[in-house]
Amino acid sequence: MSKLNTETVSSESPLHYFSKISSHPVSSSQLFNGDLEFGVVAKEISLGCQLNLRGDVSDEQFVTGAAAVLGVALPTVPGTYQYNSDTVVYWLGPDEWLVTSATDAIDLESSLRLKIRGHIAVVDVSGGQTLVNLRGHGVPVLLKKASGYDFSSWSGALPGAGRCVQTTFAKATAIVANRADGSFDLIIRRSFSDYIAQWLLDAGQEVGCRIESC
Amino acid sequence: MRQLNRLPTAGRTDQNKVLNFTFNGKGYQGVAGDTLASALLANGVDVVGRSFKYARPRGIFGHGPEEPNAIIQLGSGAATIPNLKATQVELYEGLEAASVNGWPSVNFDLMGLIGAFGRLMPPGFYYKTFMYPKKLWMTYEHFIRKAAGLGSSPTERDPNSYEKLNQHCDVLVVGAGPAGLVAAREAARTGARVIIADEQSEFGGSLLASTQLIDGVPATQWVAEITNELGEFKNVQRLPRSTVFGYYDHNFLAILERVTDHLGISSASGPRQCMHRVRAAQVVLATGAFERPLVFAHNDIPGVMLASSVSTYVNRFGVAPGSRLVVATTNDNAYQTAIDWHHAGRSVVSVVDSRTGPSGDLVEQVRALGIQILEGHGLIEAVGGKRVRKALVAPINPEGSKVTGPVKSLACDLIASSGGWSAAIHLSSHTGAKPVWDETIVSFRPGESKQKERSAGACRGTFGSLEGLREGASAGAEAAKLAGFGSGEVQFPTPVIDQIIEQPQQALFLVPHNKATSRAPSQFVDFQLDVSAAGIELAVREGFESVEHVKRYTALGFGTDQGKLGNINGMAILANALGQGIAETGTTIFRPSYTPTTFGAIAGRDINELFDPERYTAMHRWHVENGAEFENVGQWKRPWYFPESNETMQQAVDREGLAIRNGVGILDATTLGKIDIQGPDAAEFITRMYTNSYLKLAPGKCRYGVMLKEDGMIFDDGVCACLSENHYLMFTTTGGAAGVLSWLELWQQTEWPELKVYFTSVTDHWATATVTGPNARKVIAKVCQDIDLASESFGFMDWRDGTVAGVTARVFRISFTGELSYEVNVPAHYGRHVWEQLIEAGAEFNITPYGTETMHVLRAEKGFIIVGQDTDGSMTPADMNMNWVVGKNKAFSFIGKRSLERSDSIRENRKQLVGLKTLEPSAVLPEGAQIVDDPNQPIPMAMQGHVTSSYYSASLDHSIALAVVKGGLNRMGDIVYCPAADGSSIAAEIVSSVFYDPAGERQHV
Repeated sequence: MSKLNTETVSSESPLHYFSKISSHPVSSSQLFNGDLEFGVVAKEISLGCQLNLRGDVSDEQFVTGAAAVLGVALPTVPGTYQYNSDTVVYWLGPDEWLVTSATDAIDLESSLRLKIRGHIAVVDVSGGQTLVNLRGHGVPVLLKKASGYDFSSWSGALPGAGRCVQTTFAKATAIVANRADGSFDLIIRRSFSDYIAQWLLDAGQEVGCRIESC
Repeated sequence: MRQLNRLPTAGRTDQNKVLNFTFNGKGYQGVAGDTLASALLANGVDVVGRSFKYARPRGIFGHGPEEPNAIIQLGSGAATIPNLKATQVELYEGLEAASVNGWPSVNFDLMGLIGAFGRLMPPGFYYKTFMYPKKLWMTYEHFIRKAAGLGSSPTERDPNSYEKLNQHCDVLVVGAGPAGLVAAREAARTGARVIIADEQSEFGGSLLASTQLIDGVPATQWVAEITNELGEFKNVQRLPRSTVFGYYDHNFLAILERVTDHLGISSASGPRQCMHRVRAAQVVLATGAFERPLVFAHNDIPGVMLASSVSTYVNRFGVAPGSRLVVATTNDNAYQTAIDWHHAGRSVVSVVDSRTGPSGDLVEQVRALGIQILEGHGLIEAVGGKRVRKALVAPINPEGSKVTGPVKSLACDLIASSGGWSAAIHLSSHTGAKPVWDETIVSFRPGESKQKERSAGACRGTFGSLEGLREGASAGAEAAKLAGFGSGEVQFPTPVIDQIIEQPQQALFLVPHNKATSRAPSQFVDFQLDVSAAGIELAVREGFESVEHVKRYTALGFGTDQGKLGNINGMAILANALGQGIAETGTTIFRPSYTPTTFGAIAGRDINELFDPERYTAMHRWHVENGAEFENVGQWKRPWYFPESNETMQQAVDREGLAIRNGVGILDATTLGKIDIQGPDAAEFITRMYTNSYLKLAPGKCRYGVMLKEDGMIFDDGVCACLSENHYLMFTTTGGAAGVLSWLELWQQTEWPELKVYFTSVTDHWATATVTGPNARKVIAKVCQDIDLASESFGFMDWRDGTVAGVTARVFRISFTGELSYEVNVPAHYGRHVWEQLIEAGAEFNITPYGTETMHVLRAEKGFIIVGQDTDGSMTPADMNMNWVVGKNKAFSFIGKRSLERSDSIRENRKQLVGLKTLEPSAVLPEGAQIVDDPNQPIPMAMQGHVTSSYYSASLDHSIALAVVKGGLNRMGDIVYCPAADGSSIAAEIVSSVFYDPAGERQHV
């Protein structure tokens, strides 16, 4: 299969149409106004690829093989993630992980298949979801509006320890993860991303919410 | 207007800040810190409403959520709220309020004429009178609701916003009275996350009206200090103006915070109210107690109030609601009201005590003030019209059951009554804990805890101040410990407070009258719903024994106050009438909401476009830009049809359909569910789920299958493709995607864990454009060079990897139109790019975008079913004439197989899928229409089946329909009828369900 020619092929991220859209208590304009302060900044981040990985942790060659290819150990503690500079592995279930990586999806998938024998599943889901980083002083309250999960329970985690959870977000779902800089990442499904963006603008309006798409 | 009842002492109000407001259209002034009730009392407004049934004039009776009479409609227009209690509405500049009940005015009420005939309206009146004839109930109901004064809902959009917050804490303290405050402080000190919520505008609870000293300072100062102390803890969230209105399973509690209500209706910014949905590890309930009024004749005349309410208006609000007071009591506690009134400089006519020889600390203080005490007396009747003029008192026997001497009259304009205190066990009761009657305190206590909660202070039946403080502190420390914080030991010293020695109270609920209850003037138990003692006794005489039946028959406790004042008196009167104790009579179960809650707060921001998520495909904007009309399919917005200029829907669908049959069309098929299936046992697993076999499906091939539930009934269908060895892609219906994935996981995890197979949803990953029609190949050929499109190498039901418009794609030759079709799947980021490239490539063939309606028409022409439209969960494959899809020789069974052999599944005369062709070609049958053999048969007609899908087919120039008809497959050529509501009927011939290209040649080219 041929690789993409980015000069002739245009792509649209899930939040493509929300580039520079904002809501603010003192501005009725939805267009981004750089002079205003925003309590919530939602920035969509372009990722190389997202792969869903399934396998059996009691199978040692799966665990070691995955770690060798990904450069990151598979997290086995529920609600945690492991990461290095260009790869993050989120725990989604006892036999399921989400890998985000700067590597090309096809290359990463074939490396995994090459390295690991036996029963696994590797699925490219890059087109189906997107990562949105939420930063700003309004984020903790925004998360309380969005989800019944107790995100403040993460404040006791060791510094740098990655915590993540798959949970409800407003009336959709999201994977929510903390970051070392105190911000939060949301990984949301593409088909729900317009709804979630609208919801963020509405729920973040009292402190000002700006969306930046990638 | 002068506030004639305003005292020089301000209490908790700021008399320098005057606020203007209107009540029932008339202008008044109050001061900052007032409630609407205290401001009305300050202005000498006696009548604030009319009673439910008899339309008797009613005045303010209480000072909090127990208020039964001052039920008001706040504001007007879009932001109006009905059914608020004036005692809970904080006064603000420009407030407008009106009585909910009482038309045309509270002072002259037409309904009052009915009141004059009160004896004609016994309990059960509505049941007895309005039951027959049944068809008039709607008329009666309208009349009753209007007369009952249940307030009016706004008819316009609510201009305010509402918020919802999910909260988590280690200890939730409900109530910021003395017990709650010390509980919160103990818990806070351990480092536990604490939320303390109180429904009043400021913390302090009963202490806000107290004249006691705590730790040597006035109670209100002590409250301010401890409240500030709590504010210094980072782990404490203080929520004033916040009512905990419901206690649900798993220590989940709901709090309604009135964020800006007190600032005025439309002037405030920010949400009007916020609902906190709290998950608490441990809960301390410190909700206090309600004073119980005495039940005596005409105890509902304006000017009769709770003793504690009189004290509260005097001490907290600086308002004296009258001048000459009579206190009627069964306990020491109410003597405080006489003391407070005396110190306010007003006259206490007498304290009427049902007990003989009272001598507690407060009693002695009253004696020392030279106030007359009538011991062994009952206040048997209030006299007056729109205001009390005098009280009738008489000596009563020690049991409090009869009048034993001459009746004396005391001139007065205010009666304060106290029959003791009832613990506010409401939240404890929400948890399912069964309240326990305690004779010694004459109150229910909270029952054995069903959740991680404990009660402290007055709500536990501990009415003494010092004991309440001790209990609160212990409860706070214990709750924190059980949540994992602290040692459970109380850390702070117990506050110093004077002990007041009180003597036992008398358990007296109904004050006797010199006439029998049935003959005496009405002795009201439930003010809001006009339930009297005589009414309860009548219910017993009519044979009601269960408290639950009596409550429903008389409506006791059914008002918006939930019987906070009347329930216990009512039960006691019932117990007495039944000749048994209160404990045997039963209890009263309180349910959420504690006080009425607005729908706005429950809905929060989940309104309008955020009410339900709208799911969009990657091509959605193109559809919008190109004028598509949309249809909801599950949560997806799918293009329904693409009208051009002034086309009607039928014209657009005709044009789109003909374009596909004669040229080429393009459909956004992204929404179909897609599940990636991998593993060595994938084929075996899939074969067990579908009715047909996938064991021999080769890579590059696709197969259509149906799935059954265990009962043998179709629940989903779709195509499954073999991507490579041990790797499959399953397509589901748009609406069934999530259900099918759960179904696969359920069977794999619970029934066949030995099968090695993994499932992953890829619905969102792929964008799908279906190019269909005789010219489809020519269009694809222009944008795809690396797939051999010749039919001999890429045939019907094959799929190929390739590059379409520069993007890596999977192309499937599956068809829902019956025409040559290519379903082009690309990662969704490229969805719009590929879609536009296909449109461009198809321009020379006049490629026509089409929506779900044309898709439905074309598939119906082919007789392809839609699960959920042509099936309804009671259809087998055989019913759908689809036995060809059922594998008869599969080695392993498949889900639903055994049910296909049930006697009912194989009986003759099941409804079977057939086509219907109307005799009149342009007459389109209504979907859902019943099918009969003889439209002239008298009702009830024999139903033969119903129409499941019906359209006008432009390709056939004829109306077509799919239907399920009893034994239909053996009835080809029969004429049947679909009767319409107007008496007409449409005749149709039963034909094959395949109308177009029955040999299926067009999709194979």
